[in-house]
Amino acid sequence: MTPERAQSLPLSAEAAEPRCSEAAVPVWLVVLLLLLAFGGMVYFDQRGGWFNPQVYAPYVSVVELQSFQPPTGGINLERGKQVYESICALCHNPDGAGKPNQAPPFAGSEWVLGNPNRIIRIPLSGLNGPVKVKDVEWNLSMPAMGAALSDDDLAAVLSYMRSSWGNKAAQITPAQVKAVRAEIGNHTQMWTAEQLNAVQ
Amino acid sequence: MNYGPLIFLSAFFALAGSWFGFVITPQVQIGRLQPTNTLGNPLTYPLARPGLAHQGLEVYRANGCADCHSQQVRQTGVLLEVALADAGTNKPAVVAALVKFKSGLSEADAQRVLAELPKTLLRGIQRQEADAALKLLSTAGAKAALSIVPQGPDLARGWGRRRTVAEDFLYDNPVLLGAQRIGPDLANAGSRRPDLNWELCHLYAPSSEVKGSAMPACRFLFEKRPTEPGLAPEALVFPGGMDPAPGYQILPRPEAMALAAYLLSLRADAPLFEAPLLSSAAATNAPAAPAATTNTPSAHPAKSS
Repeated sequence: MTPERAQSLPLSAEAAEPRCSEAAVPVWLVVLLLLLAFGGMVYFDQRGGWFNPQVYAPYVSVVELQSFQPPTGGINLERGKQVYESICALCHNPDGAGKPNQAPPFAGSEWVLGNPNRIIRIPLSGLNGPVKVKDVEWNLSMPAMGAALSDDDLAAVLSYMRSSWGNKAAQITPAQVKAVRAEIGNHTQMWTAEQLNAVQ
Repeated sequence: MNYGPLIFLSAFFALAGSWFGFVITPQVQIGRLQPTNTLGNPLTYPLARPGLAHQGLEVYRANGCADCHSQQVRQTGVLLEVALADAGTNKPAVVAALVKFKSGLSEADAQRVLAELPKTLLRGIQRQEADAALKLLSTAGAKAALSIVPQGPDLARGWGRRRTVAEDFLYDNPVLLGAQRIGPDLANAGSRRPDLNWELCHLYAPSSEVKGSAMPACRFLFEKRPTEPGLAPEALVFPGGMDPAPGYQILPRPEAMALAAYLLSLRADAPLFEAPLLSSAAATNAPAAPAATTNTPSAHPAKSS
């Protein structure tokens, strides 16, 4: 499509092809296109979900989708603290240090930190007779203080005891409490330390 | 035509670009989708259709059901709700918690709320707000529950509990999404009405079950037989006024049974990560199934032949 070739053709044979002029693209058009592109990118960024295959309308991002996932049922330690302070703290002290000749300590106690199946049994049926806590021998009797608590509340208070005052043990779930309750059935007699030590 | 290469290349890249975007990318993303777990209590989802229902998919396809029925539920939003089920034993603490997170609620109002449990306290809130309210209530010893309720016109029509996602169609081949809704959406046909006799009667004579139905009757899927040796267990029981001529019964052919089994297996309401859902109704992954595979004679009203 050079000028020479166009001139060499007979005029009547074919009209010259339309050709672009040399005029530059107007600046306002460039600006408008850039603005449109910017708006499009902002819109996509906010609502496009970044092509994630798990994000469907009306959700706009994985973050939003995650905020609508059902809760996993964590333990409410604040509830545990309340239950502890209203029931257990009278004898065992709010700081878990216990009271001399009245109740053994919870802070650092191997009974609290150890096998969950043992510590769950104590509030459910009570504990009677000699028991060794942190190398000190106690010979007292605790009634079934937690038998009336719900599974949720008992799990919360035991989890609170296991994660406070320097204690660091795994939380106890309501399901574990429920399982132990089912296991002991209508056992109403207080446990002895030997019976509990036999529990696995 | 000296622009030939340019035209060729633009056409090539336009087609290649859309092929890449619409075919390859989705294939890479969801082409190898595997069954996952439902939310809450983890169950495998989806389950493959039982055999007869699997054959029913072919009948559904062959008879062009998908021309008039879609199988895709849409959703326009989602609402979070906090409901109080039980106030527990420490009522003053619950009242204090209520007053704390529900602005403009006086203590007397809060007392009244406790009198009429279970009650929805908050609706259409952000997740942080809901979590804070739940924490306050459970610290006070009350039993409060969060609901995640998908919203949309399709859901308001009762066509499902959440939107449909790719996972729901894992065992459909081909996927019969449908493009028109001359009839209602069928994505949850099985969970909406798990009634084999209803499905069969509706296929034989749609207007017997739905007044003014525009659906063509599929009589070719049925046989009219004399009741001579006796009434067959799978004979249709019509709701009234539609009974066949005296001495005759309507029996479904295997295709009709397969189609009905397929319709009853349609269920897309398990809570998934992509389509979260939380309500008091129990979660399930099972394909909806009829209570019985045949409508046994014992369920029939006595009929004299």
